[in-house]
Amino acid sequence: MQIALKIWRYDSSTGERALREYELDAPEWATLLDCLDILKDQQDGTLAFRKSCRMMICGSCGMRMDGAAVLACKTRMYDIAQAGHVPTISAMGNLPIVKDLVVDMDPFWEKFKAMKPYLQPGYERPEDGREYLISQERMNVVHKESLCINCGCCVSECNAMESDPEFLGPQALAKGMRFVGDPRDGATIERLEEYSTEHGIWDCTRCYFCNERCPKGVDPRDAIAKLGAEAVHSGVDRDMGAKHAKWFVRSAETTGWLRETELVPKTQGVVSSIKEIKFAMSLARRGKVPPPFPPHVARDVDEARNLHNLVRGQDRGGALGQVQGEHALGKLAHGYDEERDPYGPGSFPKPYLPEEGAAP
Amino acid sequence: MKRVAYYKGCLASLSAKELDTSTQALAPRVGLELVELESVTCCGAGDIHEAEPDYYLHLNARILAYAEATGCDTLMTVCNVCTLNLRQANWMLKGDDSLRERVNTNLAAVGVPAYSGEVEVRHLLWEIAEGEGYEQLKVAAHKGLKGLKVAPFYGCQILRPSKILGFEDPDRPWSLERIIEACGGEAIDYPAKIKCCGFPIIQAREETALGELIQPVEQALEAGADVMVTPCPLCHLSLDAWQQKLEKATGRTFNLPILHLAQLVGVAAGLEDSELKFKRHIVDPRPALARLEV
Repeated sequence: MQIALKIWRYDSSTGERALREYELDAPEWATLLDCLDILKDQQDGTLAFRKSCRMMICGSCGMRMDGAAVLACKTRMYDIAQAGHVPTISAMGNLPIVKDLVVDMDPFWEKFKAMKPYLQPGYERPEDGREYLISQERMNVVHKESLCINCGCCVSECNAMESDPEFLGPQALAKGMRFVGDPRDGATIERLEEYSTEHGIWDCTRCYFCNERCPKGVDPRDAIAKLGAEAVHSGVDRDMGAKHAKWFVRSAETTGWLRETELVPKTQGVVSSIKEIKFAMSLARRGKVPPPFPPHVARDVDEARNLHNLVRGQDRGGALGQVQGEHALGKLAHGYDEERDPYGPGSFPKPYLPEEGAAP
Repeated sequence: MKRVAYYKGCLASLSAKELDTSTQALAPRVGLELVELESVTCCGAGDIHEAEPDYYLHLNARILAYAEATGCDTLMTVCNVCTLNLRQANWMLKGDDSLRERVNTNLAAVGVPAYSGEVEVRHLLWEIAEGEGYEQLKVAAHKGLKGLKVAPFYGCQILRPSKILGFEDPDRPWSLERIIEACGGEAIDYPAKIKCCGFPIIQAREETALGELIQPVEQALEAGADVMVTPCPLCHLSLDAWQQKLEKATGRTFNLPILHLAQLVGVAAGLEDSELKFKRHIVDPRPALARLEV
């Protein structure tokens, strides 16, 4: 089949940047990575990109197609070629470009290492001298996080990291959850303390780009929420983000609706909120600061309060509250069809086609 | 008329009352009969999901149960964050019989009706961007926007994660543009329309949030926007109210009016000032809209 690609070429030594268009002939089964291999082999040996396994497990070939991070080896080109679409290929975002489609992964690995991504054993050896067995129930807690291949597709699109380059980010934090949720690890509280500081758990802006882009179903945003839940459950809740989240719980069980006006002092503390008085006054003039008294109370709010007391006494505290829903949400990730052939049609994500998904 | 259970959420109940009044006034003109939910609470706004996810699931199940008790098939939201939280809980409950049974047992223990998993959660945006709602919208928008340049701002949680939201292509959405054009406005295009406004961390990490917020504001103005429209009251709050902090931090003047979706359509449909309540905005949209009156 005939395929055309536009590729952003870049040379960091000269700063030269150019969008070049290529045309090539590729087999119908070709992925984006196959196409780049053909290009490099037959047309332009100077084209730079990373690759290794070609089977979605090494995590080397992360790049952007039409602005969205993908694994080149997971992206089939047949439908794109049939539609006559010419996709634009560029390097991943949020990481410095070295050449063409190759980014400098050092900042990525620095954050990865900061998570101490190795077991810090804190378990008792089984008395019979055999290996430590983890129950399926406990494995479920970190199953998704264990699927990460460190490709960086999530980091590429992270909106919080665009604004704060020091943010640990979705990949590192998901890795953190993989160890916080491991029953053999003995440093759970220390980890939660470290991950809860500035640029950590509570810096996530919930844009959900990471979940959208992850080629392995890790759902890093959900992993960050699990860390938040574990932190709050363990009493590691000094950060403003944790206080902010806890105020929603308090609001729901007391008045039902968010107690908006008290949210700032409850999050930032009274002293810091005094600095916000001028800003608050500007909002108050437009009715944007509802008076806390008399409180706006939802009808039958005692039900919400009783519900809280009831579920708090059950065994789904912390991340488990979220893990219990992953089975159902996992069906969505796989097209909501349990009978689907994992290697058949629909098993690969659909590429962008200009005519599909347009307004009806 | 399509009967929908109307869940207005926290902001439209209090600090963004203008969203509620404009939605209530617009609804009958686009074929929606709103059945307001009374015995409901906050959806948790993603915060309860992060602090106590088990409580989050139960609170949302309770909202869904009361929506089902109205006899409506659809629970209609007017907020991105409510939409994601309710849809996510809904999928959890629909897709796992034993989990739904556990939650229903807990609901019954505090006197809440059981939830069968049959309600669909949809945003006002989706109701009027396609089908019967869209047909009615075209008629309702008789006054028109006279070529007003409108920047659509989607925000995050109406698009992503697409497996939970699933209404349109999260990278190339079309619903707001279609509505703007049906109302006689001109939809302008800019890259940050699908990105984050920074709201979830605007109180705990203001600097990072402002670094996100500036992108849509700056890009929309560069593309020539007269006003911006958003389907989310949280995006609205950061874009409208925190715009002054952005001006202070950058030393620049933006003065970009931000409209709720129901307000923009409401202008085209000729709603009254008392329903649109523009005086509740920090950046007053009335000067930008004044030329529509000529």
